[in-house]
Amino acid sequence: MNTYEVFLKKAGKEPFSHAGAFDAPDNELALLYARDTYGRRSEGDQMWIVNRTDLLVADEEDLATADRDHKHNDGRLVAELRQSGRGQANELE
Amino acid sequence: MIPNATAKELILAFADDELCVGQNHSWWIAVGPFLEEDLAFTSIAQDELGHAKALYSLISEDIDRIAYGRPPSEYRSAHIAEALCHDWPTALVRHFLHDTAEEVRWSAMLDSSWSELGAVAARALTEEQFHVHHGLSLLRRLLCTPEGQKHLSPVLRELTPLAREYFAGSDTGLVGSGVLNTSLVDQELIWRTRIEDVLDEFELEIDWSAASPSQGRAGVRSKDFFSLHDEMVAVLRIDPAANW
Repeated sequence: MNTYEVFLKKAGKEPFSHAGAFDAPDNELALLYARDTYGRRSEGDQMWIVNRTDLLVADEEDLATADRDHKHNDGRLVAELRQSGRGQANELE
Repeated sequence: MIPNATAKELILAFADDELCVGQNHSWWIAVGPFLEEDLAFTSIAQDELGHAKALYSLISEDIDRIAYGRPPSEYRSAHIAEALCHDWPTALVRHFLHDTAEEVRWSAMLDSSWSELGAVAARALTEEQFHVHHGLSLLRRLLCTPEGQKHLSPVLRELTPLAREYFAGSDTGLVGSGVLNTSLVDQELIWRTRIEDVLDEFELEIDWSAASPSQGRAGVRSKDFFSLHDEMVAVLRIDPAANW
């Protein structure tokens, strides 16, 4: 048996999202089983089915070292600076 | 058009086959060989019961009565459809034989002069192609292994000739009047070719004369029918007057 990961997408702007996993003996049966396991209640209009062995899995340590404070820019700092700059400009007038 | 007695009898037999197979397939709920197959197989069971309902509604106003309220001698099901098949090889083989036959039977009703029947057939065929694909894929997958051959080959040899009964019955005048586009005899030939094409892949030979035709269409019930029917009407018997 192979394990397959299922991604579903509804019509519209929502992206594909992970729905779960299931087992099937081959790709042909995987397509058939995915339909009844994850699609029988119109959970999505589109479905991606990926054999888990085909997934590239990133190294968790590499991921941790990629994480740095200065990359967490949520725009708040720039917004504050702009706001205080505007305040100074108002004072000058 | 107003269908004649022969047309109605043919539809009754088809509906009874679907009712029995749908009920039999549903026995596998929660005990299928693995979860995914369990879901797929019992979803097919629901479809077959839906087909039975659609066919009964062509010939009766009271679907519950016609499905559950007749004495056994008034059923017209083929004995292969009545068989309980409580082991997986027989359940899978019957599924393959039944749905291959069902696809041929619905196809013979496409564009029927009985327009309501033609519409039901067109709708059912969209589901039927999935059923055939499912049965065939799993059967092929298992026949590729010595273990699968060991379990499935004897069952295929035994059940395949019995499944000829799906094409038993009278179709006198039905091709001429356009109810059917293919006679029962020709439907059986199409079905046999499809079955043989699959079995040839695995060098399995069938003795088509191994089974004498049973009398299911004439009102004779198999032994299995009675326990199947008991289970089918068990809930109904608790309160026959209940409104569902």
